[in-house]
Amino acid sequence: MKASLFRTTGLALLAACLVHAPAQAEPRLTVISQWSAGAEGAAMDAFGKMVTEKGVKWEHSPVSGFTTDMMNKLRADIIAGKPPAASQLKGPEIKAWSAIGATVNLNDVVKATDYEKNISADLAKIHKPKGDWIALPLQIYRVNTLFASKKAMDKVGATELPKTWDEFNALAAKMAAAGITPVAHGGIGWADAMYFELTLAGISADAYRKSIMELDDKALRGPEVLAAFKQLRQLTKWMSPSNAGQHWSVFLPALMKGDYGFLMMGGWASGVLKKGNFEEGKDFLCGPTPNNTGKPVFDMNADGMIFWDTKNADLLAGQKATAQVAMSKEFARTFTQINGSIPVRTDIDLSDAGFQDCQRDAAKNLSGAIAANQAIMSLGHNMAQTSPVTAALRDVLTEYVHNDKIMPEEAQKRLADAVDTVR
Amino acid sequence: MVEARSLSTRGSRILLYVVLIAFAAFYLTPLIVVILNSFRSFQEITQTSVLGFPREFRFDNWVQAWGSYCIAGICSGISPYMWNSLLIAVPATLISTLLGAMNGYLLSLWRFKGAGLIFGIITFGVFLPAQMKLVPWAITLRDLGLSNTLSGLVLIHVVQGMSFTTLFCRNYYVNVPKDLIKAAKVDGAGFLQIFWRIILPLSPPILIVTVIWQFTGIWNEFLYGITFSEGSARPVTAALMALSANIAQAREYGIESASVLIAALPTLLVYLFGGKYFVRGLTAGAVK
Repeated sequence: MKASLFRTTGLALLAACLVHAPAQAEPRLTVISQWSAGAEGAAMDAFGKMVTEKGVKWEHSPVSGFTTDMMNKLRADIIAGKPPAASQLKGPEIKAWSAIGATVNLNDVVKATDYEKNISADLAKIHKPKGDWIALPLQIYRVNTLFASKKAMDKVGATELPKTWDEFNALAAKMAAAGITPVAHGGIGWADAMYFELTLAGISADAYRKSIMELDDKALRGPEVLAAFKQLRQLTKWMSPSNAGQHWSVFLPALMKGDYGFLMMGGWASGVLKKGNFEEGKDFLCGPTPNNTGKPVFDMNADGMIFWDTKNADLLAGQKATAQVAMSKEFARTFTQINGSIPVRTDIDLSDAGFQDCQRDAAKNLSGAIAANQAIMSLGHNMAQTSPVTAALRDVLTEYVHNDKIMPEEAQKRLADAVDTVR
Repeated sequence: MVEARSLSTRGSRILLYVVLIAFAAFYLTPLIVVILNSFRSFQEITQTSVLGFPREFRFDNWVQAWGSYCIAGICSGISPYMWNSLLIAVPATLISTLLGAMNGYLLSLWRFKGAGLIFGIITFGVFLPAQMKLVPWAITLRDLGLSNTLSGLVLIHVVQGMSFTTLFCRNYYVNVPKDLIKAAKVDGAGFLQIFWRIILPLSPPILIVTVIWQFTGIWNEFLYGITFSEGSARPVTAALMALSANIAQAREYGIESASVLIAALPTLLVYLFGGKYFVRGLTAGAVK
């Protein structure tokens, strides 16, 4: 009898262990992103490999295409009660979306490392919208990157990239006189907005922060914004009038041939040029866009990953391990070497051959801009505002770029009014 | 005199052909660019231009697009996604067409009180934009336990397709003489028997129209496909999107072109085999 009771208890204990076992199942991470193919897909795969090495089962389900498609998917999954453990999300949308679905508090995981000390304070703020870490930035692109055609530069006898807008204007005028189209531009909405933000950022980063990031009415109607519209009008006169709705990469061959002088585009363009067998220094020059402020300016486009709350112990463990990987120096190096961005951490040594000069220049630029408090968030790439505000501003800017009958003063008024209506 | 007339006829004929060829060339140019790019390497396109003749005809874009290009870490090209699309489009097309025929038959030949209202409600679905229905579908699929499954997508396309198929079939069956049905009833045929024996044999023209319409619509559908599917169970439109539409990367125009051409083949075949019935079916009964 006693033996039998002992056996029963033993069996019950064993059964309890077995039932309990799934809670201690292997850590797992379900993740959705827009990165599926090419260099971005490869970087994501490398991320997955690093996480897998930490014992986490990586289940990546990309929703590529436009951001809205991924948002639709995310919303459907949240409604279905099965949000992914993590998803790509960036800028002010992190705050907006964290109101729709519950997120995981990562404070302990982040505070256990030296991560927070080594990234930009503005960037950190975006990823802890209410004071708690709920998301992590993965990479940064410098949006204010200037690419110059070496052939076009040679033709007008220039050897160095223009540093200020005045230098840029003088050089572009020389190019125009030599039969070169000075500015390459495809006329897509986000790129129109980007050309405006680059001119304003190069005129006054402070004014950019106040007007575009903080939507300060006085700044929006101030002299710096007007100056930016005037400079932008000058740029549009140097664009080819026949280019509408074209992807920027379409212009790269003509730029390399010297038909175009300059392209202003995020650092990702250098990865494309590298893949097309063009060399920095020989075929093109790469550096920051013109900047009158005297101190480094960095216009940031930083993709991040948000972590959604879950009751599954395996997913919670997977989230923790993944966050640790994403904050590591090793991740920062590997991820950015593959896709051509720069690390979020400012304490990474970029001297090895896996990086391009263009990336090194951008990383140096970032540290300098953070020190000078001139690291700002991109409007064209949804870092400065939520999408409704961005869309309202973009409408005004696109129309201005494509209709040269609109005067700078009128455009400035329209921009400030558009902000008033959506605010 | 006669000669002069035939000369002027010939002149206008030549002019007609010139205009037609010019229009055809205008519309075919994008397709030709896509076909040419499918044979050019990435380097060649990046170094010269998106427009151009291939320096040498390379078939590796096609091979990669079909079976080895990496999408989301799975290096199997678009072929598995083609299969998924077939698994969605074929059953959804057949079921929605059959249900549409049944609805049309009932609403036109078995008139009952409120038939007009029900027809109105069903066809209302034709006018609803897809984005509006995303959240209701997300809830429905959740409650049915069909989130992120191929069956869920089939259900969506069947239900939504019924608006169109009912509209098509009802308008076709309205022209079927009522006496035919009465005669059959006198002979003792029931509801289903009349449908199978009399109505369906009369229906090929309109059924071909609905099949073409449904198949191409479902095959090309993207929004539901990407929102309610996951991982490797994606339709081909979602896989094609994965190949392109990125801001921050070099576009693989060669592979994209080959993939698009492959993905367009099934709908092209459906049109080639059923196309001549399409207009015939749509206009049947229109001029009486």
